[in-house]
Amino acid sequence: MRKYWEMMKSQIKIDTTYSAWYWAGTVSMLLKMLLVYAFWHAVYENRASVNDMPLHAMITYVVLAMLLNNYVAGVGVQLAGQVRDGSVAIELMRPYNLLDKLVALDLGTKITGTIREGLPLLLIAYLFIGIDAPATWTALPLSIASAAMGVLIGTQLDLVLGVAAFWLHYIWGLHTLRSAFLLFFTGALAPVSMFPDWLRTASGFMPFQSMVYVPAAIYTGQLAGGDALTAILVQAGWLVFIYAAIRFSWKLAIRKVVIFGG
Amino acid sequence: MRRYVKLYWQFFKTRLKVMMEYRVDFLIGVASVLLVQATSVMFVRIVFDHIDVLHGWTFHQLLFIYAIAMLGRSIEHIFFDNLWVLGMEYIRPGNFDRLLIRPVNPLFHLIADRVQQDGFGSLLVGLVVLFTSAPRLDISWGAAEVMLLLLMIASSAAIFLAVNLFFAAFSFWMVDSLPIMATVQGTSDFARYPMNIYGKGIRYVLTWLIPYGFTAYYPATLFMEGSGDRSIAAWSPAVAAASLTIAYLFWKRGLSSFSSTGN
Repeated sequence: MRKYWEMMKSQIKIDTTYSAWYWAGTVSMLLKMLLVYAFWHAVYENRASVNDMPLHAMITYVVLAMLLNNYVAGVGVQLAGQVRDGSVAIELMRPYNLLDKLVALDLGTKITGTIREGLPLLLIAYLFIGIDAPATWTALPLSIASAAMGVLIGTQLDLVLGVAAFWLHYIWGLHTLRSAFLLFFTGALAPVSMFPDWLRTASGFMPFQSMVYVPAAIYTGQLAGGDALTAILVQAGWLVFIYAAIRFSWKLAIRKVVIFGG
Repeated sequence: MRRYVKLYWQFFKTRLKVMMEYRVDFLIGVASVLLVQATSVMFVRIVFDHIDVLHGWTFHQLLFIYAIAMLGRSIEHIFFDNLWVLGMEYIRPGNFDRLLIRPVNPLFHLIADRVQQDGFGSLLVGLVVLFTSAPRLDISWGAAEVMLLLLMIASSAAIFLAVNLFFAAFSFWMVDSLPIMATVQGTSDFARYPMNIYGKGIRYVLTWLIPYGFTAYYPATLFMEGSGDRSIAAWSPAVAAASLTIAYLFWKRGLSSFSSTGN
């Protein structure tokens, strides 16, 4: 465990050194916030509520969802790159589990991201856009627990890209495909409760809404009481399942390394 | 000029061969961008399940704006995508020097080096969205209207290209300007919605500084009654020409002050 801890810390140091992407990401997020603010205000122009949500609840949801959406991706692309250029073979010989190492690096990036991007943006949103306080006093701890679970699910699930890279070449394409799919099904654009029935049912059978919709909806009170607890249990179930499924398929996939190595 | 057309054709054929070589990659690429665009249309559909009009705009009017944005962007994406990697794949590793010693315009060479299959995804969705929304607008489509629409889509593509070219040229001074390009491109999303929902500041920036307003919203208003922005809309081709000129001059400027990263 200790070595993964050190890896995570080294990643935090790397992230704080390169600042161009940090500023690009932060400015992009601010622009997006402006956009959704104007868009949802226009949607609510002649009505008090949409889908039983008043404007301020919707804005709160959308801003939180936008911030949570920054955590749904992970190190899959990095892993896929190592698979493609062959450096995975050397990584596999080193005295650590490659997947655990990458997860540690990813969590390091996500911690730096939270401290210097997520929290400041949340503060800006609170001051200038006006987001609500948590729906009830239990909603805050529950949504934080649920968000943490969602982040872990995203981190694990992203490794799928690395497994896929053993068979498919075009990593950028996979990466775009993944992002589009997640943006929609996680509920990052609009709450899943607004979806038409068939789509909402379909989403219920997939792990994606655990990453954004569940924590954000617990915060705004759309998921409350027993529903919230059930949703968190489902999240835990998905986390265990995805963790196991990825490790299993990875075991199968790295057999190909031996074949390539000849 | 004829030499360049011939040369482009040669480049293009090689690129096609590469695409045919990796068919699965081709499909993944097209599918990925197709899904990106399809989800944004789905998002608008879902919102309009709950409302009838958005600031006076109907679902199909909004789709029409989207269509122009997608088609303009797809042309730029298919043919001019290599500008994105100017820093990463040319300047940083020292590959750009290779282009400089060849007897063609380096910008031409850079652009001809890639045909981006992924763009066909947004072309496809763009066409579907256009054919769904255009007949439902309050306008009778004759030859003149279709010509005008094509001109507007071409202008949209030209503006996407000009803005990207301008910000890619920063790579000559800072090695890789990709983060700046990505951030700037993000602002084009604003032009996909009726721009009268924004405050004056945003409208001013997207009209006069980064003219993304002319990639979708303004051209679309030419075909719709009562937006009040039609007088600006007619300027789209002129804005496109002006932006391309400015961007190219800036590129030239960068090129002349470029010193290689090589040894």
